[in-house]
Amino acid sequence: MNRKMAKTIALAAFAVAVVLGTWQARALDAKTPYPNMAPLDQYLIADRSVEIVLARSAAPPSISRDAKVVVLGPHGYETAVEGKNGFVCIVERAWMNPFDSPEFWNPKNRSPICLNPPAARTVLPLTLMRTKLILAGKSKDEVKQSIRAAIEKKELPELEPGAMSYMMSKDAYLTDRGGHNMAHLMFYTPLMDGAAWGANLVDSSNNVSVPFPGSPLLLAPLFKGNPEPIDVFLMGTGMWSDGTAAPVM
Amino acid sequence: MNRMRFAVLVSLIFVLILVAAGAPRTWAEDNKTPYPSMAPLDQYLMERSAEIALARSAAPESISRDAEVRVLGQHGYETVAKGKNGFVCVVQRSWIAPFDDPGFWNPKGRAPICLNAPAARSYLPLILKRTELVLAGRSKAQMFGDLKAAVDRKELPAMEFGAMCYMMSKQAYLSDSDPRWHPHLMFFAPLTDPAAWGADLAGSPILAFNGKDNPEPITVFLIPVGRWSDGTAAPADAQ
Repeated sequence: MNRKMAKTIALAAFAVAVVLGTWQARALDAKTPYPNMAPLDQYLIADRSVEIVLARSAAPPSISRDAKVVVLGPHGYETAVEGKNGFVCIVERAWMNPFDSPEFWNPKNRSPICLNPPAARTVLPLTLMRTKLILAGKSKDEVKQSIRAAIEKKELPELEPGAMSYMMSKDAYLTDRGGHNMAHLMFYTPLMDGAAWGANLVDSSNNVSVPFPGSPLLLAPLFKGNPEPIDVFLMGTGMWSDGTAAPVM
Repeated sequence: MNRMRFAVLVSLIFVLILVAAGAPRTWAEDNKTPYPSMAPLDQYLMERSAEIALARSAAPESISRDAEVRVLGQHGYETVAKGKNGFVCVVQRSWIAPFDDPGFWNPKGRAPICLNAPAARSYLPLILKRTELVLAGRSKAQMFGDLKAAVDRKELPAMEFGAMCYMMSKQAYLSDSDPRWHPHLMFFAPLTDPAAWGADLAGSPILAFNGKDNPEPITVFLIPVGRWSDGTAAPADAQ
């Protein structure tokens, strides 16, 4: 870790707080801007090579260059590049947000993520299942019910210890709010109180509560038993995957 | 710890393996190291209230104020404050370092740490066990063997899911060369290839202590953060 990296990391916690503070400050409109799914082509990236590059941008090249890459097609995710280090990079879409998120159908969302091998084996299947159901035209409720049933029937793998991911793409579009983006890592655990990690809390409308001032951790509103039985902790990195400092937004 | 120091550490491990090849693993005391053997015990001990404050400084006050605190006494760690949030804060001493660390017996070492509940159940016992052996007068070689035997007999718990800790104290003394290093969080895992987290790779914010040369089968992932537990910015020259 060089000094430049240290400086950028030093901005991380502050960046997280500012980004989320901005989100919080902008009160949500009573009317959600995305009440329904947009036409499918708005979620697709026409040029497959562009999506591959975007997916890889989630992690430093030292990690993503040997990762498997999957891209979104009209019927679901397809493998575009085979990997050799166990990581899988993918551009998630807005429907990986909480079901009650006002941005659940935001067609602008592009969320590049590189999952480490345990996460690729146990978290990626959740992304693939949600996506498959949505592209099959299922409603939110139907998607939730199908996932819940799959969990009860143990058709989805149990979360492995050590599952984590990188979301350090400079070109991500995570939300309409604030600076749209934040460089961070994510850690997956079975359901637990955010207090177990001393994490501050973000709800599905991106309101932040701060029971632990000074903590660099956030418990994201993702999954949280609704219905996937996983908690996701976020930690800002303060730098993008290309090594440049992530701006304080 | 910068990458050069990591490279030096890796080289040191390699040299040690070569030296010890074909022979039972021993940890002969090296007179060239500044701390070849344990110093008198009192050099590792602290005034109790100072140790409590130092232990709590590992995490933001919002976390550590409700944590259990243990301090080091003549016969091991003793609970001096009951907690109510599952976290346990202690000041580790130098012997929690890797066995090949030249600072293993450094009496100045003070490494405050606040462990979350899963880590308190599964990592704290490792700290307590090492300390128990040290205070019983065991040599490094004996400690290594005792710990290995305890692991083999499954007397030490396996790492729990979600075990992590805070090491954000501005008052830490982690090594002579870089006493405070960076405030950081640590995540504990069963013995894991660091590459599985992308650790130690160019551009990665994650560093790893691979435990493959220690008796305890765990890997520790470190991620620096930008602020000390008191909220002040960590200077870039802290490393």
